[in-house]
Amino acid sequence: MSDKPSSGNSKVLKILPYLSLLTVLAVWELIVDTGLVPNTLLATPAQVLKLFIYKLNHADPDGAVLIVHVLTSVGEALTGYILALLIGIPLGLLMGWFVVAEGLVRPIFEMIRPIPPVAWIPLAIFWFGIGLTGKAFIIWASGIVPCVINSFVGVRMTNPVYIRMARTYGASDWEIFRKICIPSALPMVFGGLQVALAASWTALVAAELIAADAGLGFLITMGRRLLMPDMIVLGMIMVGLTGVAIGIIIDRVEKRLVAGMRR
Amino acid sequence: MSENGKRKVKVSVNGLTKKFGDLLVLDDISFTVAEGELLCIVGPTGCGKTTFLNLLSRLIPPTRGNIMIDGEEADPKKHNISFVFQEPSCMPWRTVKENIAYGMEVKKVPRDELESRLKKIMDLVGLSDSADLYPNQISSSMEQRVAIARAFAVNPDLLLMDEPYGQLDVKLRYYLEDELVRIWRELKSTVIFVTHNIEEAVYLAERILVLSNKPTTVKAEVPVGLPRPRDFRDPEFVEIRKRVTDLIKWW
Ligand SMILES: Nc1ncnc2c1ncn2[C@@H]1O[C@H](COP(=O)(O)OP(=O)(O)O)[C@@H](O)[C@H]1O
Ligand SMILES: [Mg+2]
Repeated sequence: MSDKPSSGNSKVLKILPYLSLLTVLAVWELIVDTGLVPNTLLATPAQVLKLFIYKLNHADPDGAVLIVHVLTSVGEALTGYILALLIGIPLGLLMGWFVVAEGLVRPIFEMIRPIPPVAWIPLAIFWFGIGLTGKAFIIWASGIVPCVINSFVGVRMTNPVYIRMARTYGASDWEIFRKICIPSALPMVFGGLQVALAASWTALVAAELIAADAGLGFLITMGRRLLMPDMIVLGMIMVGLTGVAIGIIIDRVEKRLVAGMRR
Repeated sequence: MSENGKRKVKVSVNGLTKKFGDLLVLDDISFTVAEGELLCIVGPTGCGKTTFLNLLSRLIPPTRGNIMIDGEEADPKKHNISFVFQEPSCMPWRTVKENIAYGMEVKKVPRDELESRLKKIMDLVGLSDSADLYPNQISSSMEQRVAIARAFAVNPDLLLMDEPYGQLDVKLRYYLEDELVRIWRELKSTVIFVTHNIEEAVYLAERILVLSNKPTTVKAEVPVGLPRPRDFRDPEFVEIRKRVTDLIKWW
């Protein structure tokens, strides 16, 4: 007996996802073509595909070719994300082990944490304008929260036997932190990377919808302003695809790092 | 073999008392351990055996009394103390070899000295072939051997073992008991071995301390002068085991 949910012909199972995707696309195409939904409200898949090909090498009507929008968004996202990791992970780790760090940082962190990162957008525009810095700030603010929490919890979950063992050999607090707490927390920290990425990407698109002159969120906004439903849908699809692509890359990097440490 | 009178005192415990809040666990305990001695401590579950070892290794402070090693207040930063815990203590992110090396790393043993000791101790406990495996790839008895190898590798002045074989099945326990005796004889460490298994204590010990129920005191001291290797069916062995069992049944 298999422990899978239910068995079936494996060849049929392989085509099923494509079949369902095709069905959705066909239905989508049909409801617009037959006029069930007016074309001014929803673009057909064919129109989106056409625009996609057009936008590969045309800057009009929104001002930049598609790859520029993608790279702008990715650049902003990675800047904020990496800053969130660089500050959030060490901070969370230190807070997990050193009571002084926790005592100092935790009240501030708890005060800021309930504020949704997108609520920072107006202030960020105020401070940094609509360029990369403002967006990086928003992403940093959304990405840092899971980084801090996961690193903190990871250290706190360190098996106390390892800590007692280290102490009986005479290890100092700092040595225990470096050699016991950090390696023990790493799986949790890596778990946080994906959560932080998802949070960052969401916040980025929200920020670009409101204030930008390039980027995928900006493409969507332009589609609305220019009354081009195909551009809105194209922007949405690109946001999804790019997000998935970054996720896969991070996953790969993470797997390689973890494999280097333990099998 | 009970020649404690002639041997140099390694550890002396003086009036050791421990309270957790109002709960008096250890009540004014005093005794000495000779250099190179293998001392077993037996007592009922919950009488404070683990607490006692935690005090010895300074993981927790005593309420009253003190513990001297070589005439100085016990201090893990100064003395070479090793602790084999009741629970498994192999770090999953380190290989067998790296786990065994951990104690020596903390003690800042020079690299080539560390490597040569590693090789020797891994041969001694039969882990040389598993050096590069991770803890999740080895059995629980091998994990316990890693913990023991790590403990011996620092050439401890004092090795504390807290029911290290409690979770293992009988056959493995016998095997590891023999192994412990062999390593102890070879490295001449001072060992305090805590157990609630009387047979194990009689098999291993040069001397047995029998603890009472809470509030815990040293109920009796039983020297075990049997030659090694010892035999569970030897009438003298059975006799000593009976004596210790009666002491524990007393209350
Ligand atoms: N940190 C602690 N706080 C309060 N009570 C404790 C603590 N540690 C141990 N005890 C109590 O001390 C007694 C002895 O515990 P322990 O040393 O673990 O016994 P043993 O190892 O002999 O089984 C138990 O009654 C236990 O509940
Ligand atoms: Mg115990």
